[in-house]
Amino acid sequence: MFKQRIIYRLLLIFIIFALIFIIPFSLTIRKEISTIITEEGSLSSPLLKEKEIQHKLTERIVDNMLVFSLYLFVFAFLLSMFFSRSLLKPIRELYKGAKALKEGNLGIRLDVSTEDELGEVTKSFNEMAEALEKQTKDLKKKESYISAMMDPLWVVADNDTITDINPAFTKLFGYSRNEVLGASIYDFLDEENARIMKYQLEEREKGISSIYEISIIIKDGSSMPVLITGAPIIKEGSTTEKIGILKDFRREHELRTAIKESRDYLEIIMDSIEDELLVVDRDFRITMANKAVRAIKGDKVIGDYCYAISHDMPSPCWHEGVDCPAKRVFETGRMFKTVHQHKGAGGKRFFHEIVACPIKDSKGNVMHVIELMRDVTERKEYEENIAQKNKELTVVNSIAGILSRSLKAEEIFGNVLDKMLEMLNMDGGIIFLLDEANRELTCSYHKGVSEEFMRASGRMKLGEDIPGKVAATGQLITTADIGTDQRIERSILKHSGMKGCCAIPIKGKERLVGVFCLFSFKTHIFTLEEERLMNSIGEMTGMAIENIRLYEKMRQLYEYQRQRRAEDHKNLLSLSSRLAAALEIKAVMNSTLDLIRGSFRADLVWLLETDNENLILKADSGLNIKEREIIYQKGTSSIEWYAIEKKEPIIVPAISSESRFYLSDYVRSNYRSAVCLPVYVGEKALGALSLYYTINKELRDDDIHFLQIVASILAVAIERSELYEKTLLERERSDTILQSISDGIMTVDTRCKVISINKAAADMIGIPQEKAAGSQCCELFNYADENLDFRCTLGACMESALEKKSVNVDAQLTTITGKNLSVMISSSPIINSKGEVAGVVHVLRNITREKEIDRMKTEFVRTVSHQFRTPLSAIVGMTEMLIDEDLQDEKKKEYLQTVLSEGIRLSNMVSDLLNIARIESGKEVFREEEIDFASLLEDTKKLFSNALEKKNAKLTTAINGNVSGFRGDKEKIFQLLKIFADNSIIFSDKECNISITLSRKNDNIELKVSDNGWGIPEEDMPHLTERFYRGKYGQKVKGSGLGLALCKEIVTRYDGSITFDSKVGKGTTVTVTFPLRRKS
Amino acid sequence: MRKVIVIDDEPFILMMIEDKLKKAGIKVITLRESINAVSVVKNEKPDLIILDWMMPELSGIDLCKMLKSEPDIAEIPIFMLTAKGQEADEQLGLKCGVTRYITKPFSPKSLLEMIEETIGKT
Repeated sequence: MFKQRIIYRLLLIFIIFALIFIIPFSLTIRKEISTIITEEGSLSSPLLKEKEIQHKLTERIVDNMLVFSLYLFVFAFLLSMFFSRSLLKPIRELYKGAKALKEGNLGIRLDVSTEDELGEVTKSFNEMAEALEKQTKDLKKKESYISAMMDPLWVVADNDTITDINPAFTKLFGYSRNEVLGASIYDFLDEENARIMKYQLEEREKGISSIYEISIIIKDGSSMPVLITGAPIIKEGSTTEKIGILKDFRREHELRTAIKESRDYLEIIMDSIEDELLVVDRDFRITMANKAVRAIKGDKVIGDYCYAISHDMPSPCWHEGVDCPAKRVFETGRMFKTVHQHKGAGGKRFFHEIVACPIKDSKGNVMHVIELMRDVTERKEYEENIAQKNKELTVVNSIAGILSRSLKAEEIFGNVLDKMLEMLNMDGGIIFLLDEANRELTCSYHKGVSEEFMRASGRMKLGEDIPGKVAATGQLITTADIGTDQRIERSILKHSGMKGCCAIPIKGKERLVGVFCLFSFKTHIFTLEEERLMNSIGEMTGMAIENIRLYEKMRQLYEYQRQRRAEDHKNLLSLSSRLAAALEIKAVMNSTLDLIRGSFRADLVWLLETDNENLILKADSGLNIKEREIIYQKGTSSIEWYAIEKKEPIIVPAISSESRFYLSDYVRSNYRSAVCLPVYVGEKALGALSLYYTINKELRDDDIHFLQIVASILAVAIERSELYEKTLLERERSDTILQSISDGIMTVDTRCKVISINKAAADMIGIPQEKAAGSQCCELFNYADENLDFRCTLGACMESALEKKSVNVDAQLTTITGKNLSVMISSSPIINSKGEVAGVVHVLRNITREKEIDRMKTEFVRTVSHQFRTPLSAIVGMTEMLIDEDLQDEKKKEYLQTVLSEGIRLSNMVSDLLNIARIESGKEVFREEEIDFASLLEDTKKLFSNALEKKNAKLTTAINGNVSGFRGDKEKIFQLLKIFADNSIIFSDKECNISITLSRKNDNIELKVSDNGWGIPEEDMPHLTERFYRGKYGQKVKGSGLGLALCKEIVTRYDGSITFDSKVGKGTTVTVTFPLRRKS
Repeated sequence: MRKVIVIDDEPFILMMIEDKLKKAGIKVITLRESINAVSVVKNEKPDLIILDWMMPELSGIDLCKMLKSEPDIAEIPIFMLTAKGQEADEQLGLKCGVTRYITKPFSPKSLLEMIEETIGKT
């Protein structure tokens, strides 16, 4: 193939050469020839022509040949370069591939570009590289397995040197790879382990694998137990090397040691147990036995059957009907406990308590049973003894229970007898009780005998028959068969068919109470134990009967005491209730003392009161001394003072022989004993209560106690009575204050019911104080429909106060007389000591005057400002004009004149105001001079002539009678006349008539100013003399509203009065009356 | 020429206003009584009326109501020039159709400005 390719390429070269060189060359020559022919056509000579042509042709061929040769050479060179490169390329690729393999790049693959021999070589190269890569991968994988092994591994050569180890080896033993490779394996073993190793290696030589345990000396010098798994490496039928895997065996080694120690420990424990301990397998063979077992049965018990050891039996014990504990545990898997009875030498019973416990394997199967056998013979006997005692005790207890539960003798006898009969299995019984007075026994209860028999034998003398003897001696008598008993000569019981008989004394602590007699119709042998028990029961019953009798006595005593105490209590209660109910203490004090005197059979009872100075007689019983007489002065050492000082009762059993105390002659000569109790309230001494006796009386402790209680009650009653009196006084005082207050005060409870109202409130609503109490608060104001709003407001105030909020609200109230009042309702809660609202106080304050003053103040400010504005307009406006405008002199003068007159008007107004204020405050000085009314009237006429003329009005004056003698300030009186006349002119239409009349009326001077003007509207009438009050028609005219106010002040100053009579549209008459004689 | 009627019972007020307005080229008719004011206004047909409130016989507020009830003169703006300075009074005045409510004391200069603002300058 490769040769063919070369031939093909040479042929190709030849063709290309032919195409590139020969064809162009031939064409060139042909072209040259034709050119020459063309050129030489013009030549004349043919010869010359030929020679010339040849010469030229040759020249031109040579020229062309040279050029073509050069072309050919260059072309041949390029062609050879191309072919040589195409042949060398595959070979170079192969070289590169081989080099990459050498460098470890096993993944290299070459392109197969040709199908010739070189292509085949390239394919083979690729296959080889692939095989090599796969093999290398396998090797690496195996190496990683060895490296990853947890257990160390060594490879040992024939000469026992180590040729290879894995990383785990270094990790476990501490040796590095370099330290180990080439070293002998015996360098890592001590002598003993070297011997074992040697033996094992020899075995391995035979091609046998082995597992064995040795200790390796590790890097730190200590030895480590390892388990070696060794195997020979066999190549071509012979062992070349040995491989050993060394497993860390420290944990197993420790476990093995621990197991051994545990086993030793277990054996020690087992041996230390004093009881016999066996471990039995499923074949009931003993696998372990402790020292106790070995001591009894010998050392060779291991392997024997358990029943042979424990029961000395040839076959399993359950064959004999015994409950085998080991078998039970194997069957149930649970612990089993039992007691086995064994018979020892001489028939002696032995009891063994056997406790069998399972030993289970990991699956829960019972593999062994541990049996613990304890000799409990002694305990068993003790338990049996205890059981017997218990039985007796139960009977005694049940009888004791009967005795303690009941307080009825008959019930006790019956029950005890029944119990005894039951216990002793007897047929009947009789209870005899001792009648000490008649010295005989009488039947109290019987059972199992006929009534007939009892009638015959129900009563027997002390010492007679068996029960009588028992009663006389106090000793128990028993007989197995009464009929045959030689000790009993004669008995009524002998022929009654009774055989076994027992008579038990019923003994109390001090005396015999009776006899229990039990019998049986069979022979009954009484054991000592039974006799002892019956004696005990007899004693117990006797004690119980004695206790019952004692109880009865106690009960009677208690009943008596109770009755007496009840009587005392009744008296005390009567005293307490009388004292507690009495606020007027004096009324009941004497009767209380009478009661004490009667109750304690005293001859004199008195209550002395102390005022911290003297002891004064407060009350007495049995003595006729005036109340409040001083009995003992302070400093006298009387019993009473002593008791008060000591704060304890003082008992004087014998007055005559008592030298400690001072006693009045009267007491000393009349009484022989005394008891004194201090009367205290807390720490406050009130006095003393004393009881005197004409005999030597000794009071019991409970009497003294009772008296102390009485004294305490008296103390509280006195104290409270005084408090009550104080309270009454206080209340009276409060009431007086309350009643004298001009504000209406209403106290209501939380349900709005009136508790009390004061006089002012009663006057407002027109309901008497007594009747108002208990009424619904708001309903008190029902009398007028106008009060609906008031009632609503009061209700709202009530609600606020009930929520502990004090409120002040203004409201309009119409009184019962129809007067409209502005009131301020002040409602406040009454809070009791617990902090709760107990009621509400409503204070109704009449603020009509305040309201009016307030309104007047507002009006005053409004009017003042209004009245001042007009004159101010002139002052402000004209001044501005004078400054701003260029006015003529005449105008200026006029302006200034106006400013002046308006300024004066303003000033007068201020003066009027100040005058009123001055007169009102008393600071204005009024001159005293005889007033000539006639001239004043004339002056008035003159003053108003212009104004009258303007209105075409008429003013007439008249004086009736003698008006002289009135002294006053002329200016002020003239001011009055001016104001009245001015008002009449202003408030009238044109052509009105005004008259001023002065008259003498008794001791008064009367001034009347009348007009037929507009009149005064009714609503303005009450306000006419108020400052700045302008009224309805005041709007129409200018004025200060101060005139009539000033008039009023002047008239008042002269103790006079001023009245207005007016009708709208008709006119007005003002009447002023001056008294000629003034108060001051 | 613009024309203003001033009605007040205080002569100095009338004089002051008249002087001020005349200088500003406004024709002023002054009335001291309110009783015949309506007919005067009807005849003169002024551009503006200045009224005092408190006047005898017929109060300024009643006169205002009367003027406003006459259709041919109802549109004439009215200034109330009064000493009643309460806010309630002012409200009442404005309610009755008063264009401006001016309380005394007043500045003639400011009054002129307000008049010119209402009826315009010459």
